[in-house]
Amino acid sequence: MTRATPPHTGAQLRDWTVASLFALVVALAVFVGHRNHALRARQLELADRAAAEIALGRPPIAEAEAAGIVGAPHPSATHPFLHPRTVTGPTGTRPLGGPTAPAVDKLLYDAAERYDARGPFVELASDGSGRAIAARPGTGGVAVAVIATESPEGMPWLIILGALGLGAVIAAAGALIGGAARPLGLAIGGALLAIPANGWGGMGATISIVCASLAVTIASGRGTLARAFAGFRTHRVAIAFLAPASIAMFVLVATPFCVGLVLGFFDHQHGQWSFVGLSNFGEILSGGGRAFDDPLNFWFILGVTVVWTAANVFLHVTIGVALAMLLRQAWLPGKGVWRMLLILPWAIPNYITALIWKGMFQGEYGAINALLHAAGLDGVSWFSSWATAFSANVVTNTWLGFPFMMVVAIGALESVPRDFYEAAVVDGATPWQRFIHITLPHLKPALGPAVVLGSIWTFNMFNVIYLVSAGKPGGSTDILVTDAYRWAFERGERYGMAAAYGAIIFLVLLLWTVFGSRIGRREDKS
Amino acid sequence: MKRPRLYLQLLTYAALVMAAAVVLYPVLLVVKKAFEPGRQFALSASPIPTTLTTEHFADLFGARGGHGELLFLHHAWNSLVAAIFTTIVGVSLSCTAAYALSRMRFPGQKAGLITFLVVQMFPATLLIMPLYVLLDRLGLLNSMVGLVLVYATTAIPFCVWTLKGYFDSLPRELEEAARMDGAGAWQTFWRVMLPLARPGIAVTALFSFMTAWNEFIMASTFLTDDSRYTLPVLIQSSVGQYSSDWGFFAAGAIVTSLPVMALFYVLQKFLVGGLTAGSVKG
Repeated sequence: MTRATPPHTGAQLRDWTVASLFALVVALAVFVGHRNHALRARQLELADRAAAEIALGRPPIAEAEAAGIVGAPHPSATHPFLHPRTVTGPTGTRPLGGPTAPAVDKLLYDAAERYDARGPFVELASDGSGRAIAARPGTGGVAVAVIATESPEGMPWLIILGALGLGAVIAAAGALIGGAARPLGLAIGGALLAIPANGWGGMGATISIVCASLAVTIASGRGTLARAFAGFRTHRVAIAFLAPASIAMFVLVATPFCVGLVLGFFDHQHGQWSFVGLSNFGEILSGGGRAFDDPLNFWFILGVTVVWTAANVFLHVTIGVALAMLLRQAWLPGKGVWRMLLILPWAIPNYITALIWKGMFQGEYGAINALLHAAGLDGVSWFSSWATAFSANVVTNTWLGFPFMMVVAIGALESVPRDFYEAAVVDGATPWQRFIHITLPHLKPALGPAVVLGSIWTFNMFNVIYLVSAGKPGGSTDILVTDAYRWAFERGERYGMAAAYGAIIFLVLLLWTVFGSRIGRREDKS
Repeated sequence: MKRPRLYLQLLTYAALVMAAAVVLYPVLLVVKKAFEPGRQFALSASPIPTTLTTEHFADLFGARGGHGELLFLHHAWNSLVAAIFTTIVGVSLSCTAAYALSRMRFPGQKAGLITFLVVQMFPATLLIMPLYVLLDRLGLLNSMVGLVLVYATTAIPFCVWTLKGYFDSLPRELEEAARMDGAGAWQTFWRVMLPLARPGIAVTALFSFMTAWNEFIMASTFLTDDSRYTLPVLIQSSVGQYSSDWGFFAAGAIVTSLPVMALFYVLQKFLVGGLTAGSVKG
């Protein structure tokens, strides 16, 4: 197996398949891109022409789905707050909208509004329907034309199959002739799809296909491919068993993950992407020129997140271990019942918990303020200052999180032999000494990983922050994940910033996981 | 077994009763709100209702949406479909990989295990924005297919790890016997191991069902058309920014979470083992 066996025609065709598969993927991708681009250009051109015809008072061209001169808005006679417009087309003038109007009226109305605000334009509708819309000045109003979606041309299967078949023949012929013709045939046969791809996608696709074909040829000559295939054959059972989950993970996790990383280098505003290099990361890490205590400064949010995580994990572990210690006392009756009662918060879906506590912390009707009143104290407006809003979040998350640590601690404490304590009592150890020298060392192996896991969960406890304080006051109680979410969905679709945030959060978590498990391991050894 | 001094016993009871009170208080408040008239919480700290009504439940089951459909049942159906398909996708794609990771030896095995572990530990919230952009491109926003695909990102690594843990706990003798009798790898898996793993598969399936059933933020982001909402989104929107009906919320919260809470109590002893076993070995 170590020495490459001289390849025969079958091996040649196998290596050609590897090269061609890559070429096929690239060629199909560039074809689709090319087709969509051409389609879009044609749509825009048609829309522009239709609008021009209308503006000149001629009937619209046949491709137009809707077109006409849209009049200025005027207050409605019955409802003065409404401002209907009319449209004048080849069939006369009628009001836009109404119960019997076609749905495309909305596009005409919006286009006229947009023209009034920003002047003439030609573009694809932002609803993703593929319609093109043009607006330009006309006599007595705005000339608007909407071009319906065209179905794209079909896949050029004939060309692709032809190129593939010819490539296979060339590669096979090279192998049959032998000698220098063998690598030559493989290189040419593998790169044959570059010719149509050149027409669809230009130089990038051509070069990548040719390079891949050359790489496959070199790898084939050195026997690398043969060894790889032998490895596949040896482990083919394991590979087949792993394939379903691995492919799914690749498609569902790796793809969005990589897309997220790449989008971090782009800026997205008003539906337009533009490459900005490292500037998103720069803006985040420099704090964007904001003061340190500005709730939009990354370092402020990171600080809040760290304090949030530390406070919660500390409370989870302390309360969890304390209750576990209480529940392990041998004389206590009804341990199972207590345990069932105390893990109740874990059983409740956490979005419901968060909403319940949000209700309890409400200023006017909240139960917490009612309790304070009952105790003769003044009510607190919980979400109007940072400290109280943050405390509300921590209280909620402590309530829902301590049962996990308690259950882990109960499990760990079961492994402590009771003789240890009895021996320690005989030797005169105080309860504190027994806790430090017997209980704690037994808790560590189980609690260590639980703390790492719990800290990751808390670090990303989206629902509590988002639903309880919702970042109030002024976004200052947001943590990293909720702030990244707001960049994407609540601050004008700044996807680039959100993606850069996601990448940074991922790095922080990765460092913490590696670092945290190191600490855990070192303590195990000592 | 010696009993400690009386004051220590009393202290233990006092601490446990207090903890139980803190745990029960919010739950009782919700139960109270569900059976008490009015949309807002009454200004009282008592968890015991003064007047009883079932109007919130009638409201919950009777409310109709824009197309005349029964709102709650419609959204419950959406939730059920999403959770069931997520479970099917997660379990069916994970069984073979979990078995391979547990029993077979191949290069890159450790790396594979760690990858599944890390993906399972890290929250799907990190992927929410790229997933949104991709689903938008594919036209899968507002669709159950899109939501199931998104949920599968969490369900698959979870199922792989939990099932791997279960396969690890099964004895090797039966497998070896099957091999001796001439069964191939696939037959050993399909005829011997998979039937043995049925309890583990059932528990894993129920947990991924619960996770999908309880998921809020993905559903709320990817479903903008309110006829597509799942139950968590419906319940959250009942106490949204502009209007809140805490009676509707309380009734909805109880009806939605009672089944999964019952399930949780049946299954909880498996959960702790699976979670920590995974991280200890990683």
